[in-house]
Amino acid sequence: MRQSFRLMQKLPCFRLFLVDKYNAHIAVLRGASLWDGDGFSIENLMTDFPTIFSITESELDLDILLAQITLESTGAAAIFTGMVRGETRRGDAHDTAYLEYEAYVPMAEAKMKQVADEIRAKWPTVEGIAIVQRVGKLYPKTPTVLIACTAAHRDTGVFEAARYGIDRLKEIVPIWKKEVSPSGEFWVEGDYIPKPGE
Amino acid sequence: MNHIKILFFATIRDRAGAKFIELDIPEDLTIKGLKEKLSLDFPALKESMKSVLITINREYAFDEAVVPSNAEIALFPPVSGG
Repeated sequence: MRQSFRLMQKLPCFRLFLVDKYNAHIAVLRGASLWDGDGFSIENLMTDFPTIFSITESELDLDILLAQITLESTGAAAIFTGMVRGETRRGDAHDTAYLEYEAYVPMAEAKMKQVADEIRAKWPTVEGIAIVQRVGKLYPKTPTVLIACTAAHRDTGVFEAARYGIDRLKEIVPIWKKEVSPSGEFWVEGDYIPKPGE
Repeated sequence: MNHIKILFFATIRDRAGAKFIELDIPEDLTIKGLKEKLSLDFPALKESMKSVLITINREYAFDEAVVPSNAEIALFPPVSGG
């Protein structure tokens, strides 16, 4: 693997860079969609599709994230963003003062990468993928998460890919939120139990 | 004995009263055995053990898995990001 890694460093399409725009690290892996813990698998270096996955405490800049996954060949993007809902009317109606998010950061970023890999396996036409979760104390109307997928055309599965991304994030990426309301605070817990290999 | 680090998150951290602990465990201890040990060491966690998710070195792990030496273990409730 060491030898092939050296080879990869010479390939012009291999670029790994850290963007510090948000004072948080956002890894943009260009052309590599499989991290095997020891190096990048070479077959994936032949493509040039950006993948962004990050936990950040900084404000989400949707425009910048979208620009980072837009290529010359891109003609469509599906962007999902969730925000803090101050007034919940469905089900158990209640008000929310703020949400406090926390993450097991290194595992969360690895699982975001895994979600991106799953998206690429299901929708090979997807070009760029961004999966970013903001953590910390977040108030109503504030965007908390972004899942965006780009592709050449809108009928290639980008809508479904972005939907799959947010659904999977809520299943396997270790992030939690505590809801704080005028009447008290409680941790929100999901209900998905990951299976072996997830 | 194997030395391990255990991280706690969200409700589990609140109940344990610590962000992490370090432990020496028998070499053949499984995740199931670890849960039993933690239930004894931290009675406040006993109820949580039914639904807790456990990871070994940042991958989900299940009852039969043996805990390796120098493992980074984490205990947390089902996730709720987004």
